[in-house]
Amino acid sequence: MNKTTQLSDSALVSLYIAGNENAFEQLVTRHKNKVFTTILLIVKDTYTAEDLMQDAFIKAVHTMKGGRYNEEGKFSSWICRIAHNLAIDFFRKEKRSPMITLEDGSNVFNTLSFSEDSAESLQIKEDTHARLRELIQALPQAQREVLMMRHYADMSFQEIAEATGVSINTALGRMRYALINLRKKMQHNDITYDKNLYSE
Amino acid sequence: MIKTSTQNELIQYVYNELAEDARTQLEAVLMHDNELAESCSELLEMQFLLQNAMKSPGERAINNILTYSKSLSLQS
Repeated sequence: MNKTTQLSDSALVSLYIAGNENAFEQLVTRHKNKVFTTILLIVKDTYTAEDLMQDAFIKAVHTMKGGRYNEEGKFSSWICRIAHNLAIDFFRKEKRSPMITLEDGSNVFNTLSFSEDSAESLQIKEDTHARLRELIQALPQAQREVLMMRHYADMSFQEIAEATGVSINTALGRMRYALINLRKKMQHNDITYDKNLYSE
Repeated sequence: MIKTSTQNELIQYVYNELAEDARTQLEAVLMHDNELAESCSELLEMQFLLQNAMKSPGERAINNILTYSKSLSLQS
């Protein structure tokens, strides 16, 4: 087993700055899905999201290799914030109106093992997740922001409150409404989410 | 009707951010409050679903990043 797989993000960053490329590969492997999903939820286009994800990691590379990485805070929050900012910048520059990209199902949750699932149940999962991502995009901005920061940037509610300039109770309330809204919309859209289907 | 303060604590509980003493108290309440227990269950369900709704980028994009980083190392 690769020795770097058990190390903390902070230790991996230190190793990478010292020249260990395996450490960087571990960081990318750990955080690629969160970074990619964060961007995808904003730009709504798989290819653009992949391009911006590359930009985000390359920006991180330059910061770390240039000795400008601030060790305060979590790597995951930092890289997701870079990703979020790049996605927002892209949106502003392009002045695009939101569009929904059709999901082609080509990258089916390869972080999880679904080896025993049938093709049909895999398709149901992918459809449900794709629809869920669309519903996240349709949430009010304040709710979507808290949800993405907590779920995909690994920020605590206290950190989110400070980053967005609200009280922790407001951040918690926004998260609660985001989850309630998503649940209602899923029920309204008759989206299946059978607990047994998702059991590991 | 669940109080807003309790609902906020429930969110913190589901995301494992509730302080130890508050967590113990909330778990005691969850034992006999069906409405709160159901809310907790629904939040956990959504949390699980959201966690799994993450999508993976293509391998090519990942390889591009790793190759770029290695190329910088070779230059320095």
